[in-house]
This record gives sequence, structure tokens and C-alpha cells, in this order.
Amino acid sequence: MIQPPTFDSPDAEIVRVDTERALEEMRRRIEREGMRPAAGTPGIVRMPVVSLWVKGLAAAASVVLVLTLLTVSGVAETILTIFEPKQVTAVAITPTDIQTAISDLRSFGTLTWSAQPNPYAVPDAQTAAKESGLAVRVAGTLPAGVTAAMAHWGVMPKTTATFTFSADTTRASAAKLGRTPPPMPANIDGSKLFITGGPAVVTIYGDETHGVPTGATGASAADALASLPHLVIAQGKAPVVQSDGVTVEQLQAYLLSQPGVTPGLAAEIKAIKDPSSTLPIPIPVNMATSKNVTVQGVQGVFVGDSTGLGSALIWEKDGIVYGVAGTLTESEIMAVANSLH
Amino acid sequence: MTAIEGARRAPAVPAMPAAFESLFRREYARVVAIAHRIVRDVDEAEDVAQDVFVSFYKRHPGDAGYAPAWLHAAAAHTALNVIRSRSRRSRREESHGREVDRAVDPAESAERAETRHAVRAALTRMDERSASLLALRYSGLSYDEIAAALGLRKSSIGTFLSRAEDAFRKEVTR
Repeated sequence: MIQPPTFDSPDAEIVRVDTERALEEMRRRIEREGMRPAAGTPGIVRMPVVSLWVKGLAAAASVVLVLTLLTVSGVAETILTIFEPKQVTAVAITPTDIQTAISDLRSFGTLTWSAQPNPYAVPDAQTAAKESGLAVRVAGTLPAGVTAAMAHWGVMPKTTATFTFSADTTRASAAKLGRTPPPMPANIDGSKLFITGGPAVVTIYGDETHGVPTGATGASAADALASLPHLVIAQGKAPVVQSDGVTVEQLQAYLLSQPGVTPGLAAEIKAIKDPSSTLPIPIPVNMATSKNVTVQGVQGVFVGDSTGLGSALIWEKDGIVYGVAGTLTESEIMAVANSLH
Repeated sequence: MTAIEGARRAPAVPAMPAAFESLFRREYARVVAIAHRIVRDVDEAEDVAQDVFVSFYKRHPGDAGYAPAWLHAAAAHTALNVIRSRSRRSRREESHGREVDRAVDPAESAERAETRHAVRAALTRMDERSASLLALRYSGLSYDEIAAALGLRKSSIGTFLSRAEDAFRKEVTR
């Protein structure tokens, strides 16, 4: 009987290469194609094989951070927790809102990470629980076509950052957009916010690495869409924002008075009854719809994308924010969410 | 070509930076080896390596600390894309022909071709991380180097690796 090949089959024996000849070939190609070497100092780089959820998580975190700043309220005296969400709510944002200066925190000052978001993969739920320190919940019900064996686990350790407001930075970034911002109140200029996020655990059912856009070959957006995982479950400590003394009502008023903030967004933010304990979930109005639902006995926000292909459910319970998302229907998402235990 | 002659040519393509050149010399053989573990064809592996270095050249400085890790991950990723890609199939069959010509024993070469086909098919069906992990490990990278390339903790690599080996065995006997 013929043995099946092993990965180390003889055809993969050590390859002899002529590096100098290859280098010459590379030189000729550079010349022929007029290639220029990358200049400047190395930046933060993502490996080509990097999980889609890492990017998703980072993008989601930055949006939540901005909206967090918009919704903080209360009066801070010394170091004070000004934001510690206990519930979630939907906030509709328009393409205009996304494009305004407030979509980037760095327009207002400097964000310094003391512990960068640095997610990594772990083999299983037990390791995820051990390394994150969270009581990791697993789904008891999985939709058709999804099995427990398809699960990939990731851990994002606790992340902390300090944001320092700067009137100079704000003026400079507004000037780039040809705008004149309202003057930053003196007590905001130089004041600090201490932001803590995570730890968090993410479970992806499916192959999280297929078709991920890469620096090496550049997969298309269609590839990325086609590779969206069936189901993603995220759970993590709710973010906390502390202030070193800025009058945060003033902060809210200041941020909402920025040029480009639509009256609609400002009104929605101001309408949040308990902003210091409500996590706003940004819903792009042109891309998604949302509604309140009851999940695990608390209020959550269900988000459906306008194509009907994907949906997500976000809720908070006992200091942990949960998210379930995927290319699934509302009833499938709800069933998974309610089965977490 | 002297510096003056070089300067006269316009518009000149900037010379290859020394840092890139030394990176190329240090890493080329390993990048080919990783790609070869996946494509199982020397010419194709060298094509992959050239593409990987070109991509790096355009986007990253040669002295970047992450350069080796980036190249290793890109080698596996690009090679996997190659074996998944239908458009490259005809080229692959051409080079496969050359490979057969080189071998002395026709029976042995047929067996090799069969093995290559089976290994590639199995890798195509596996998830990318597992396939990359096998290629990196079997081309001689250390756990530290694998951890850097694939964004894993060194402590988990053993577990991931044994799972990848199981997955490979399952796929190759399918």
C-alpha cells in the first residue's frame, strides 16, 4: 500500500538557491519597472497573515473611543471615572459625521498608548480564559453550517492609553481642512483622559485568515467580503474613561460645537439620559439599521446591514460588553447570543 | 557605472539601498525555502520570493526590525495564494514539465509529481494559519521566528503546530 505523503516528503528537500543571481534579477526588475524603495522610518506594521478581526476590533475601538468622548458627562474634580458603561444604545451617524474632524481623535491632541492593543491567537477557550482572566462564555447553540471545531480564539490583553488635549493640534488639523475651530477652553487644553479597554476574547468560527488584505499581494475588497467569517463572538471588559480634572460637560459642549458635527448627531448624543454609563454604538444610517432587543435579560442593540447579508448584536451585562456578529439572520444571531453560557 | 554617469541619466531609478541588499542576502534562501514547502517547485518558489521582496521594497525600509518576520509571513501567504490561484495553473504545469525532465528515474519523478499534487491540494484545503505554520516550521524557523511572523505567542506554537499536523494528515488522506 502506498503511504500518504507527509508534509516533510522528499520533494521538499533542501533547496539550493543562487542568491547573487536572484539579487541581480531583482536589480534588473527595479530598473525595468522604475521601482523606488520605501523611504522614511519603519511604521507600525501588520503581518500579511493577520486576522481580519484584529483590524475590525481596532476600527471599532477607535469609533467607540470618539463617541465615548462625545458622551462623557458629569463634573470631574480630580482623577475621576467619567465613563463606565452599564448599558448600550444606538447612535445614528451619517456619512457626514464620519467624515468630520471628530472621526479622528488625533485632531484634538495626542493619544499615547501605555499598553497598545496587541491581540494574539490562542488554541482554545481554556487558554483564552486563563490569559484574559475573563470568565469566557461559549455558545451553546450554533447556526447550521457552523461547528465548534471551526472556532479560532483570540485574546486582547488590557489596553490603556492617555489622551492629552491640545489647542495647537486642534488648530493645525482644522487649518488643514480649511476650517476655523471654536477656541478650545483653557481648562480643556492640556487636560488628560485615561482610557482603559479590555481584556477581551474573540471567537471566530471559520477561517479568519483567508483573503485578508495583505501588504504582499493586495486581495480585493470582494475577497475580504467573501472571507467574512460566519460567526464572531466577542466579549470584553467595558471601556473606562477617567479624567484628570476637565469639566466634562464643557468637553461635550466643545466637541459637539465642532464644525461638521451635524445637529442630528449632537441632538442624539445630548439625548442620552445617562451618558456616563451608556456605551453608544455608532450605526452608519446609510449602511445599517438598528433596534433595541432583549438579550440575556438586558437591553441590547441589534444591527442589520442594509444588504441583509450580515447582522450584529451588542449588549452589556455585569461589566462585560458582548458582541455577536456574522453573515446570519436576526433569529440565528439571537439564538447564539441567548445560548452564551 | 560611475556615480557621475549615473547622475546624468534622467529620471534615474534610485539605487537599491544597502540595507535592502543585505536583507536580501540574509533572507532570500529562507524565503525561497518557505515558499518551496508550499508550492513544491523551485522555479515557482523563486518567483514567489521575487514578488515578496518587490512588495517589501516598495513599502518598507530595508532596515526595519520587523523585516524578517514580514518576509517569512509574506512568503507563506503569497505561496498559498499561488497554489489557490487558477490563473497560474498553466504556468505551473509548464514548470512541472521541466521538473520531470530533470529527474532521472521516470517512476520516481511520477511519484514526486503525485506527492506534490497531493500536498498542494491538502494545503489549499487547510486554513491559512495552519498551512503557514507547517511551511515556516519545516523550513527551519525557530519558535521565536514563527511567533513573530504569525502573531502567535511562543507558548502556543506547539499546540497550534500539532493541530496543523493533524489537519494536514486528515486533508492529505481525504
